[in-house]
Amino acid sequence: MSFAGNLVLNDVDFNVHDGEIHSLVGANGAGKSTLIKILNGVYRMSRGSIEVNGERVNIDNPKAAERFGMAFVHQELNICPDMTVAENIFMGNWPTDTYGRYDRNRTNRKAMQLSATMGIDLDPAIAVRHLRTAEKQTVEILKALTRNANILVLDEPTSSLTEREKEKFFGIIEKCKQNGISIIFISHFLEDVIRISDRVTVLKDGRVNGVFARGSYTKDDLVHAMMGVSVRNTEFIPLPKARSVKEVLSVRKLSSHGKFHDISLAVHSGDIVGICGLLGAGKTEIARAIFGLDPIDSGAIYVDGSLVESCNPSNMIDRGVVLLTEERKTEGFVPLLSIRENTTLSIGGMFQNLGTLNRTAQTAFAQDIATKMMVKMTSVEQPVCSLSGGNQQKVVLAKCLSIEPKLFLLDEPTRGVDIMAKSEIYKILREFVEQGTAIIIFSSEIEELLCNCSKIYVLKNGSMIDHIDSLAISKNDLLSMIS
Amino acid sequence: MSIRQQFADDAVRLIIVIVFFVFMPIISPYFFQVKNVMNILQNISLQGITAIGMTIVIITAGIDISVGGVMAMSTWIAAMLMKNGLAWPLAIVACLAIAALCGAVNAFSVGVMKIPPMIATLAMMNITRGLQTVLSKGRTLTGLPESFQVIGQGVVFGVIPLPAIIIILLYIAASWFMNNTVTGRKIYAVGGNPEATRIAGIHNKRILLFAYVCGSVFAAIAGVIFISRTNSAPSTLGFNLEMKAIMAAVIGGTSVTHGGKGKIFGTFLGVIIVGLITNALDLLGVSAYYQQFIQGLLVLLVVMLDAVGSIRRPGKTFSQ
Repeated sequence: MSFAGNLVLNDVDFNVHDGEIHSLVGANGAGKSTLIKILNGVYRMSRGSIEVNGERVNIDNPKAAERFGMAFVHQELNICPDMTVAENIFMGNWPTDTYGRYDRNRTNRKAMQLSATMGIDLDPAIAVRHLRTAEKQTVEILKALTRNANILVLDEPTSSLTEREKEKFFGIIEKCKQNGISIIFISHFLEDVIRISDRVTVLKDGRVNGVFARGSYTKDDLVHAMMGVSVRNTEFIPLPKARSVKEVLSVRKLSSHGKFHDISLAVHSGDIVGICGLLGAGKTEIARAIFGLDPIDSGAIYVDGSLVESCNPSNMIDRGVVLLTEERKTEGFVPLLSIRENTTLSIGGMFQNLGTLNRTAQTAFAQDIATKMMVKMTSVEQPVCSLSGGNQQKVVLAKCLSIEPKLFLLDEPTRGVDIMAKSEIYKILREFVEQGTAIIIFSSEIEELLCNCSKIYVLKNGSMIDHIDSLAISKNDLLSMIS
Repeated sequence: MSIRQQFADDAVRLIIVIVFFVFMPIISPYFFQVKNVMNILQNISLQGITAIGMTIVIITAGIDISVGGVMAMSTWIAAMLMKNGLAWPLAIVACLAIAALCGAVNAFSVGVMKIPPMIATLAMMNITRGLQTVLSKGRTLTGLPESFQVIGQGVVFGVIPLPAIIIILLYIAASWFMNNTVTGRKIYAVGGNPEATRIAGIHNKRILLFAYVCGSVFAAIAGVIFISRTNSAPSTLGFNLEMKAIMAAVIGGTSVTHGGKGKIFGTFLGVIIVGLITNALDLLGVSAYYQQFIQGLLVLLVVMLDAVGSIRRPGKTFSQ
């Protein structure tokens, strides 16, 4: 399997036994999701074969995967929130009466029976909207069982569960296993992996880098297999000591129910700080809350020492704070508009002259900033949707930097960006930091944080568990802390 | 979409217009008669001016089907005020203010309450239509001040009707505005990706307010010209107008399937095409019922053509 010439998976052998829980772990970009998408028929492999029950099968679309008994429970759940639990479980295959009419009672009864066999206590008649995340996941698993799935693929199922919910969830998985269902469990949470897996396969850079059987390994072994030889990180070039020690942002005891709680952090001008955490740890939520995109329940945000009373994006931009969001395509740019208009989206007013748009000045500005950002383009009039991912990201970066921010929040700034563009983006950030901008990088990529940030806050399940000097920690230790 | 592609789209529209002008005289000798040309212009002025506001609203990824109702109510009130002795310029100001208020309510429903534009403006359509009926009791007001009638009946250089000049000036102004002011460009950006503009610090709600006020006010302007020309404010004013305005915008290349795409000049050509089609059907003696059917069919076809383009788009341009 290769993307644009990059080999994503290389000679990966992976097998699951009957009634086995087999975990798949690996750092970001190791190829986990690619492997799963191949199994699901979303991607095609370029070489190799898939066998189900000893028979070679051809999976070229998700329907085919279902036919071969595979069911996928993704992190984003596929449920209809306003239909009942029972209706969701039997989605599309609702029991009917003798006249072919939908039989609500039978649907509820069958759902009840099914959940009883799994030892689950769920009211089949209530709308799924009212359930908690863990219960919604249970509904998804039950749904998979009605389709006679014998291979269940769970993608990061525990990231939004509390300890107690996890307990129950693992119980259900055990039950599935006893019924002879094989489970492929994908997770970043190594403790969960160790707890429930019969075997663990570690992927690293698209290759299998170790298979561990239950009881024969430790967490350190897994981390080692995921990250390679444990070396003290030497990539980080210390920032020049900030001339001023002005605190640009200070966040005190920020909480938002169900997302994060008691978050306190501070950044000084000319400094890069990292927020490290897995998917679902609350990084994006914190970034959005600081920028005023989502409401908070309690806590205070100070910019330049003064309390921000009404926290909304335009207010924050006026104070020199800017956010680069995780979702580039849906939140980063206006696809049909040109590079010129996208880079000046936040500063349109600057080019206004007696109510008229001064296009010459705008073009000159866009040209200048796009060149600075090393955007590969034919002209600034090119629509942004026609650029590659890395170049789109640079345009979004240019849009953010156009206001000459005092504080720049970046949420997963290099996701889906090639290595070349990645290092260029880091270089640009460095330049701005040297001019006094403060930067916070929210990321799950450990290397990215270690080679860019002077200090790293560690986030787990919505709370800040530690903050560390990035020169004083190795990749493996950091991974161990967050997972 | 490249600049060349857009130019090609407009070229297709121009060719359609030219084809009409070449073939219609052959089919109907009445086509080029002064009376018929006047007829076309008069029809165009009502839906043409409304279509400007409609285009702006559609570019924000919305729609405004209350234009007909707003037009009927605001102009009827203006006519009433004039007849009761208010100076007509003041009556026009009142008319536009009422329309602006309706637009603001639409924007509030859509922008703040997050109600789908179709439903929000459907409600406004019924509110305004209903109020107009209550106020007028179905009567048509006539006998407006003679000085007021100049707006709709005036002729410049002895041949060109004043409404034709007004409509062209409005189109030039709106087109310039959408392309050359920051607010104009923000309208495109908000329609193209509201989440991105919010994060970029643009006040989406203000932009929507502006767009929906435009939608209503342009309809009111069209209505003022109409009552001035006909010297009457009928209860039925603006019936089915939203469909014609949407049709003009869509034929002009404004996309109803995703926001941020469309041009005022395209709508201008769209309006002319709609006017010519309506006129052709009249001249060919097609009954009004068939006309409505044909118009509906045409809108559906054009929207489908646009949708086909956008169904393909993601795969084509977003892949790396």
